[in-house]
Amino acid sequence: MANKKALSKLKGREAIVVGIILVMVVVFSLLSPTFRTYTTFVSLLDSSYYVALMAIGVTFPLITGGVDLSIGTGLISYALFGGYLIVHQEMPVAVGLIACVIMGTIFGVLNGFLVAVMELPPFLATLCTCMINRGIGSLLSGGFGISWPSALSSDGWFRSIFRINSNGKILPVGIILILVLVLVMNFVLKHTKVGRYTIAIGSNKEATRLAGVNVKFYHIFAYTICGFFAGLAAIAYSGTYVTIYPGSGAGFEMDAIGGAIVGGVSASGGVGSIIGTFLGVIVICLMKVGLPFIGLQANWQQIITGLILIGAVLIDVVKKRKV
Amino acid sequence: MGDVILTMKGIDKSFPGVHALDHVDLEVRKGEVLALMGENGAGKSTLMKVLTGIYKKDSGTITYEGKEVEFKNTREAQDAGIVIVHQELNMLGHLTVAQNLFIGREFKNGIKIDDKKMNEEAKKLFDRLNVDIDPTETMSKLTVGKQQMCEIAKAVSFDAKVIIFDEPSAALTEAEIEEMFKIIRDLKKKDIAMVYISHRMDEIKVITDRVTVMRDGTYVGTLITNECTKEDIINMMVGRVIYEDPKTVSAVPKDAPVVLKVEHLNAGKMVQDVSFELRKGEILGFSGLMGAGRTETARALFGADPKESGDIYINGQKVTINSPEDAVKAGIGYLSEDRKRYGIVVQKTVAENTTMATMHKFMKGLFIDKKKEEEVAQEYVDALATKTPGVDQLVVNLSGGNQQKVVIAKWLTRDCEILIFDEPTRGIDVGAKNEIYKLMNKLASEGKSIIMISSEMTEILRMSDRIVVMCEGKKTGEIGIEEATQENIMNLATREIN
Amino acid sequence: MEKFKQNAFVKKVGFNRIILVGVMLLMYLAFGALTGGSFFTVSRIMNIFNYVYFLGFLALGVTFVIATGGIDFSIGPVMFCCALISGYSFFNHGVPMGLALVLCVVVGLLFGCWNGYLVAFVKIPPFIVSMASMNMAKGIAAVFTKTQSVSWPQSSDPAGWYRNLVKFGSIPTGFIIFIAAAVVCAIILNKTKAGRYILCLGSNSEAVRLSGVDVKKWTMLAYVICGILVGIAAIFYVGAYTTVQPGYGDQYNNEAIACCIMGGTSMAGGLASIAGTVIGTLIISLLQQGILALGFSKDYQFIITGLIVIAAVYADVSARRRKN
Repeated sequence: MANKKALSKLKGREAIVVGIILVMVVVFSLLSPTFRTYTTFVSLLDSSYYVALMAIGVTFPLITGGVDLSIGTGLISYALFGGYLIVHQEMPVAVGLIACVIMGTIFGVLNGFLVAVMELPPFLATLCTCMINRGIGSLLSGGFGISWPSALSSDGWFRSIFRINSNGKILPVGIILILVLVLVMNFVLKHTKVGRYTIAIGSNKEATRLAGVNVKFYHIFAYTICGFFAGLAAIAYSGTYVTIYPGSGAGFEMDAIGGAIVGGVSASGGVGSIIGTFLGVIVICLMKVGLPFIGLQANWQQIITGLILIGAVLIDVVKKRKV
Repeated sequence: MGDVILTMKGIDKSFPGVHALDHVDLEVRKGEVLALMGENGAGKSTLMKVLTGIYKKDSGTITYEGKEVEFKNTREAQDAGIVIVHQELNMLGHLTVAQNLFIGREFKNGIKIDDKKMNEEAKKLFDRLNVDIDPTETMSKLTVGKQQMCEIAKAVSFDAKVIIFDEPSAALTEAEIEEMFKIIRDLKKKDIAMVYISHRMDEIKVITDRVTVMRDGTYVGTLITNECTKEDIINMMVGRVIYEDPKTVSAVPKDAPVVLKVEHLNAGKMVQDVSFELRKGEILGFSGLMGAGRTETARALFGADPKESGDIYINGQKVTINSPEDAVKAGIGYLSEDRKRYGIVVQKTVAENTTMATMHKFMKGLFIDKKKEEEVAQEYVDALATKTPGVDQLVVNLSGGNQQKVVIAKWLTRDCEILIFDEPTRGIDVGAKNEIYKLMNKLASEGKSIIMISSEMTEILRMSDRIVVMCEGKKTGEIGIEEATQENIMNLATREIN
Repeated sequence: MEKFKQNAFVKKVGFNRIILVGVMLLMYLAFGALTGGSFFTVSRIMNIFNYVYFLGFLALGVTFVIATGGIDFSIGPVMFCCALISGYSFFNHGVPMGLALVLCVVVGLLFGCWNGYLVAFVKIPPFIVSMASMNMAKGIAAVFTKTQSVSWPQSSDPAGWYRNLVKFGSIPTGFIIFIAAAVVCAIILNKTKAGRYILCLGSNSEAVRLSGVDVKKWTMLAYVICGILVGIAAIFYVGAYTTVQPGYGDQYNNEAIACCIMGGTSMAGGLASIAGTVIGTLIISLLQQGILALGFSKDYQFIITGLIVIAAVYADVSARRRKN
């Protein structure tokens, strides 16, 4: 009953995505008995945390009509920075966690500044900060992977944000955190000035400026949110994976952007919801985790994501042409 | 009628090369609707932009509510109670109606935007105006008419004392206009002053109290609407003396063959069932007011915009034109009204622009024959007397008139039989204008056929052999140059009073 | 300064290019001085070049796309995709080396067609197409090779002759081929109808369309040319490094775009110079190798290249703003 009510609240696009998720789960489960196990469920969730966090963040620049391509490489760089402080500088884990978020936020502000004030094309500006991040990440780690403290060590408490091992049973508690953040950011997007003006900028920047809104500030803010969440994603990645390797991370952003666009965020700006983005991320992660179970490589997911991206934008383009 | 709320006196404004406003006066009273009329380019919009602070006046005074004011921007004017309802809507299509109304001044409840209160306030506002719009509807889903209502409601919500309507009815249906008039009448009762800019004579008669007429940047006079006729207003709008000698006799022989025949051309709202013929060696003028659909007709004919239906015959042969490529192959050239956007590539040289439509003639095998290209470009520079240091000069460095000549050269290299000149002398100074006119006459006498779209009455009367008049997407008449007068053209170009 | 700019020779060669050459020479001298002369030798420079020809080809390709006012940042992963598919086919499907090289170019060409079609005919924004192609190139390469890296044959191998394309004994074949390719590109861009239309439509595509030109066709052609050059770049990449791994290649997008923009090609389209791109490539690669020669780690390359692109794009954007 409660479920039904919740479902009816979802809008058209979101309902469709929920439908896709259900179909995928059913197909994978029917074709592969091993898919139906608890272990798969947990690994699905584990692989979705950092993608979901990145996607929540990148929804904001996407809605302004821009994009942030630096988040994937960025998240690795921030995780390396945090890990560097913890492992090499022997600082408390909490400092490492905060450092991740601060680094992310700084790069978010930087991206926002490049796009909103210096008026560089968003994809080029963030491609550059992506490179800078990559360099910083490798420099900090000296080119070697960094392993955050394991769950067994005394400093491994942060891993229990995402998974708790109780009597051999793993509880994926990270999903609770993610859901809370989804709801909070949904509120921010729908019911606060920041969210309202993010949508307004994506809809008609000039009209928003003429209405007396400080467009540059809110434009930067959208990228800052994105950077902040890339920082959180760095924590999630460090919390679920053992070792972080410099130079990896390129392409992570595609899963997040792909998820957001599947979830109904328009690539031309103005449209999107956090709940939709979250559902879109589940589709992407289901593909990644599920495809091997039906005998396809996980990499098919990349190809399919690319095609979905084109398809989703095509719908936009065709709609516009009709008007 | 109420007291005077706003007086503009001796407003003067010049732009480089144009004296846009020449000591214009305007007086608006509380609770009246003042029509502001004039031909295209008479200075109506400029005057309103000076009022609301978009332009800074050179001299003159604005007195508002008894005090002299000068607004620095629209925001300041808005805060003082003077609001413009634009023809182009400044809306955020993805947000709801209420969110649009209160953008930049949302009600808040802690950090949360109080959408509920905004919806309630919007509802109250709409109730007060007697409009039926759901405040929670997404803006882009409303009809243009409803969007216009929202703009008016937004203006009212600023506690406006003076509202300026800039051609508000251009995109509205009859029913929507009726609804808007209801609102305007209500606002009148609330003692709000309104300035109504429009070309539509019937609306002026129905809704306004007084009519102020402008012409060529000057104030002509003010009439009481009830006491004047359409003819009175038209006479004031066009009553200029034409210095250049108008053409009196068509230069085209009666038996000249028909080169182009357009039948029942339809392309959206702006081109409805347009038919006309063009004869060899003829200059066919297209007259009408802004938004009459002349450019749209030309673009549809040229294949630049899609058309819905209509047949085109060239030299009696039916042709299919779906793209500019087809049109050029059929021998039509189009000189756009907006040269910089549609005519030339400003960052390229004179030679490169000249050969743009005829590249294939300048190929030597796979390569461009730059020498031939430059020679031909030079020939046209000489023939058209284009003032340029050389054919390798970037077009961006040329004056408007010379840029236009480069565009003409582009089509002449193509041997186009039919040339469409859309506002051929817009933004071109007087001396260069005469050269363009001479050139067009020469082309016509050499047997080229020309369609000339012009908003300048003098240009139409001076150049055309025959004149097609359009109004709101329809052809309203055709006049031979022998019978043409400013009055009868303007009569066809404005809507009849029902 | 103004006088210098008005000089006939300067005008012909282009002020920016002279500045660029100057910057390059200065950098060269600086690196030479800082490394105590070891950076100076011709053989060292030529040796550096062996590892950057691929970047030059990428930069030449993307110059055409940027000239139309578009962008393609899928070129790096696409280059890897070309090298992986053809290399894997060589080892596992018995495709002879000559054919493998052709396959390399064909894969690049196909990606060029796909990108060009989507941008020109379907009218999907170039950066979305780039994102999608980047993902698909990685995915296709990984699926095709079953996520294994491919090591192309070494020079000692009978099939290793392809490496002679980069360097044949003491003859710098790679240099010759690259310069030849650049000359061909320059001819296409400046002397043919295709180049003329690509540049004009990058400047004002609507005016070109209204001149009766099939704008879609020429836009697509720019992407196709880019695709072919990316395929050639793949050959020179494996010719230098031999090993390619699926899932990588992103960094080269930026480096190639950096080379173009350094060379004076404008992001807004309509203004592109092949000579500039060549010089830009030399500058970027000298800079990168110079950083290494000074004893800094490779990571500084990323940071510095990133900063350079930001500076170059900003210079381009603000120059355009001043003009308007």
